[in-house]
Amino acid sequence: MRSRKLWWTGLVLAIAGCLALGVASGWTAPRKEAILVGVAFALSGPLAPITNATIGPVYDMWVKEVNARGGIQVSEFGRRLPIRFIKYDDKSDLGTATRLLEKLILEDRVDIVFPPISTGFLYAAAPIANKYRKVLIGGPGGAAKLEEIMPNLPYFFQVLNYSRSQMPVLAAVLKELGLRTVAVVHHEDLHGVEYKDVALPEFRKAGLQVAFVKSFPMDIKDATPLLKEATAAKADAFVAFAYPDQGFLMVRQAMELDANFKAMYISVGVNLSAFRNAFGVDVAEGMMGSGAWSPKSGPGARRFVELYKKHFNTEPPDWWGQLYYYASLEHLQQAIEAAGTLDNPRIREVLATRTFNTVVGPFKYDRDRQFRGHLGQIGQWQKGIFEVVDPGRNRTAKPILKPAWPKKR
Amino acid sequence: MVETKGLAGSLVRSGLALRRAGLALLAVGLVGAPLYLPAYTLVFLGNLGMYVVLTVSWILFAGSTGYVSLASAVFFGIGVYAAVLWRTALGFWVAALLGGLLSAAVAAGMGVVTLRLRGAYFSMFTLGAVELATSATRWGEAHFFGRVGRIVLPVGQETIYYAMLALVALLFATWELVQRSKLGMALRCIGEDEEAAAHIGIPTTWVKVAGFCLSAVFMGCAGAIMATRWTYVDPRIAFNLQLSFIPVLIAVFSGSRRPYGAALGALLFVALEDFLITRLPYHYMLLFGLVMVAVMLYSPGGVTVLAGRWWEQVLAWSRQDRTGSPR
Repeated sequence: MRSRKLWWTGLVLAIAGCLALGVASGWTAPRKEAILVGVAFALSGPLAPITNATIGPVYDMWVKEVNARGGIQVSEFGRRLPIRFIKYDDKSDLGTATRLLEKLILEDRVDIVFPPISTGFLYAAAPIANKYRKVLIGGPGGAAKLEEIMPNLPYFFQVLNYSRSQMPVLAAVLKELGLRTVAVVHHEDLHGVEYKDVALPEFRKAGLQVAFVKSFPMDIKDATPLLKEATAAKADAFVAFAYPDQGFLMVRQAMELDANFKAMYISVGVNLSAFRNAFGVDVAEGMMGSGAWSPKSGPGARRFVELYKKHFNTEPPDWWGQLYYYASLEHLQQAIEAAGTLDNPRIREVLATRTFNTVVGPFKYDRDRQFRGHLGQIGQWQKGIFEVVDPGRNRTAKPILKPAWPKKR
Repeated sequence: MVETKGLAGSLVRSGLALRRAGLALLAVGLVGAPLYLPAYTLVFLGNLGMYVVLTVSWILFAGSTGYVSLASAVFFGIGVYAAVLWRTALGFWVAALLGGLLSAAVAAGMGVVTLRLRGAYFSMFTLGAVELATSATRWGEAHFFGRVGRIVLPVGQETIYYAMLALVALLFATWELVQRSKLGMALRCIGEDEEAAAHIGIPTTWVKVAGFCLSAVFMGCAGAIMATRWTYVDPRIAFNLQLSFIPVLIAVFSGSRRPYGAALGALLFVALEDFLITRLPYHYMLLFGLVMVAVMLYSPGGVTVLAGRWWEQVLAWSRQDRTGSPR
């Protein structure tokens, strides 16, 4: 009999204990200790290198900077609150990314969510954030197609520039260099198809002749047919809408074939310091890519470079997005302080209407919640520096014709 | 003294009745879950349902025949594109159904061509089929529609949960029916000795094709359901190679060829994964690999064998109790 009695007593005690714990946790009014910021992004899988080379370090640096200053002032709580940053790995898998985003919002009850990596993932994350009325400031990614769904997503903000603003500038730069014919190659993913579609009319408008347009598979292993065809078509400019691994392959093989063009543009990858470091300053000379900003773009850009060096002991690895990611975090902080609350609908109002002071200078969204004040659209490596070659006031250097590949010593 | 011997003894005594009662309770609990479970738990369960469907439907074919198919991602992806095509026009439920049927149709085509291959050759082909599906869809989208990604109209979290629950229930019922049918017998025969099965007059290719199609139906439905949760899909997301390997991994991890064991394995697998990617995001891959290696080294039959062994111990202990052996 005794064992049974003991068992029941144990059970009753256990249930009572659970109840007491539950009630106690409900009673103690939560004193806000920190601002919870959560992100589920790619720390493993194919997208992980993008995280590590672009937005990942910028988040870490911002959190350190803010916490070193004691946190963000939130008047609702009457004091500065430090940031507690929750990071999850979505394995570069969209299903996991959407699930973890909901976990952050529903279970961890984060105050602020940051977006996952790449345009497709942004497309999927934006409706979820919107459903729970969480501000989502677009990080790495952006596409013209986003404009179709923007009206239904009042909580989504687009920070990065993309095809619509970059391609007219590329056409103008090629025109300015006195070039006539362009060969266009693109991969068959969202990025490649969209850039091609936006670029072709812009090239034609600028009076450039498009010698040929070819698509290539994502896992391209040999780009020599494309390069040979471009050479045979006597193209002045070789324009590739490609991801870093594909673009690096093209550069390597163009050198092997000694295929020289007066201009060579690769949409993603050339903007990375890793590109110049891998091939050397001589090979990179004259190569064009998307972006763009340089330390010469302004005092804010210089401040960001210094800050980056302080934290990581190296120059920023990405001359397209990193400056804007940091600016978007700065303006988020300013928006929270101005709103005086962590209530996302009110933060949203401030974000959508005010002008903020950031590393890119004054930061303001237009009516469609897109930022358009970028410091440059097209960059070119000149003597080891990624210069902005846009016509107009953003220019930090005049565009140059690409020299022939350096002769092997 | 017999009646006083605590929980374990009574468990054994009421054995079957308790199991039935437990199942009924579980069913009621699951159907009513949206009423009392936190919102994220529902998301988690919906996701778990996807893994259970993928694993159990994979075992339905591979577990009995021994043919290791890596085409799960193809069937799942076809379901995803069924949702892209028909979610808006025909509604969620019809799209899910069509996703399953379309997958089965493709599985039939694939099966007729490839199920004459044996062993590793068949696995290699199914692996290639995922790449083929990805590239073909991407090419078709780019050339005929000039686009890559698609937006799928979402449905509520509860709808996804109930759809997955229904699909799991249907899959378990199908499993029982198949095991008791001639088809199940024939599939098992093929698994044991395909030559002998052919000799006793089993039309092996057709039986395999039927089993392959049956498993594809459920994967296709699951794809169509999950697409409405993802809202954005492109070929790489739809035909995600990870989804081909995960059912195999869970099957190895759980070690069970029965649906309940596989479901338990999936639960542990997903819970472990969830724990690692959220608590130790930077070491997720490493730790996950170590756990898998540990399972294979120390419990080659999988975690359900381990659980079974513990259960046996509990039973043995309670029997000892019942016979009143001295303490």
